[in-house]
Amino acid sequence: MDYSSEVEQRFLSPSRVGEFEKGTPGLVSGEAADRTLNVWIRFQVQVLDGAIRAARFSVYGCPYTVAAADWAAEWLEGRSSTALEELGMLRRYKKLGVPVEKLGKLLLIEDAAAACWRELDGLERQKRN
Amino acid sequence: MIKKEIYLDYAATTPVDPAVIAVMIECLGSSGDSANPSSSHLPGRRAKARVEVARSQIAKRIGVSSDTVWFTSGATESDNMALIGAMRANAHRGRHLITSVLEHKAILDTAHALEAEGTEVTYVNHDSDGIVDPDQISEAIRDDTVLVSIMHVNNETGVLQDIAAIGQRCHECGVLFHVDAAQSTGKVALKLEDWAVDLASLTAHKTYGPMGIGAIYISEGVSLDPMIHGGEQEGGFRPGTLATHQIVGFGKAFELADPDSDGPLLAARRDRLWTGLNAIEGVFLNGHPAQRSPHVLNVTFPGVEGSSLQLALANVAISAGSACNSDIPDPSHVLRGMGLSDVLAESTLRFSVGRFTTEAEIDYVVGRIQDEVPRLRALASGAPAWTAS
Repeated sequence: MDYSSEVEQRFLSPSRVGEFEKGTPGLVSGEAADRTLNVWIRFQVQVLDGAIRAARFSVYGCPYTVAAADWAAEWLEGRSSTALEELGMLRRYKKLGVPVEKLGKLLLIEDAAAACWRELDGLERQKRN
Repeated sequence: MIKKEIYLDYAATTPVDPAVIAVMIECLGSSGDSANPSSSHLPGRRAKARVEVARSQIAKRIGVSSDTVWFTSGATESDNMALIGAMRANAHRGRHLITSVLEHKAILDTAHALEAEGTEVTYVNHDSDGIVDPDQISEAIRDDTVLVSIMHVNNETGVLQDIAAIGQRCHECGVLFHVDAAQSTGKVALKLEDWAVDLASLTAHKTYGPMGIGAIYISEGVSLDPMIHGGEQEGGFRPGTLATHQIVGFGKAFELADPDSDGPLLAARRDRLWTGLNAIEGVFLNGHPAQRSPHVLNVTFPGVEGSSLQLALANVAISAGSACNSDIPDPSHVLRGMGLSDVLAESTLRFSVGRFTTEAEIDYVVGRIQDEVPRLRALASGAPAWTAS
């Protein structure tokens, strides 16, 4: 399998792997999995004042999935919390050098980020009520 | 000093031995034995003589008479010839074929093609170690059974089948017996005549010979319909101009392939590799622990996705599943047939050592894997249990 240099570099040296220390303020998390695709992904993001301050991930999957999760975590940082619903892997997979047949795996990364958004949305509704 | 690239995929193909290259070169160029071996002039007869020497070298290595060895393009063609040729030539005896689910695709796909033509195929069971019980072959044989086809050394797991016992069962029942022996030569002894084998498939490139040349052993008196037509070469079984340089290389490779000298060396390298890998928590070996060829090691790393481990070890040539299938995303049919889940099958790598593998290379690969497996498992920290089961 020929991997793009970006996939290879992100897979070999992912920079946002793991999770935050317990008690870190503003944490939400979300995960997605598909056993038939052999992928599991979990995001943990710190959202303060409506902005994503930092993101971490854990992943089980192929190098494309690991690289795309690393890219997604990096992209989320510094953006508004609404970015959790705007990863847009369909638009970005080619730029990352991911073949189209692996796209289904990348959509799970979107699902995991969206799960973070749902948790955040639930927490904010609780606060308002 | 470790080379930049380490090759541990000898079950996929082997580098050509320098001694093989030397004899091949002697058959190329205007000053070499490059004439058509079917020609009656002196250069042609010289080329023919070299072909016959090669045929006898191959025959000696596999324990048969040299007039029963016919050249083909490789083991896949030989497998096709054996199954299709034998079923067609013996259609008056019946249309039943027996094989196992752990065979190479060259057998399984040919069996499926025969099924489409009306052949009934029985796929016999095996145990969790990948061993086919010879008694199951006896039980599967029917009055209309024409042929049994079982591979000697499994290309993915290295498991060895008891060919002598299966051959005896087939012989007792008057059924033809074909063996795919593509992986065997130079690693384990082959005594095809003693084992009552009627047909066997061989290839050069897995035994330090060139790619594109193989052979089929057809025991005396066995009927086989040719698949291609166009000449009298190779007894009419396989017409076409003989590739002298490849055949001569094939013969030399088989002459050098002595399991008595290579086998213990390969086993020592393989065992050193397994000792190192077995120190990693949770790994397990696939296939029978003792009834196996000395060159293949098939190991599952639970909790680690196979293609990720492959990329992490990018300078080490290894296979996920069999080389023939490694570009195909489906998990190995062999591992699934042995009871592994799809997830575990995809967490599995095949290592295969060869004549040129050094202890330093093994130690380097062990060290790399001992580093990378915990790193990849840490990447998946908190993952659900199915990722490791």
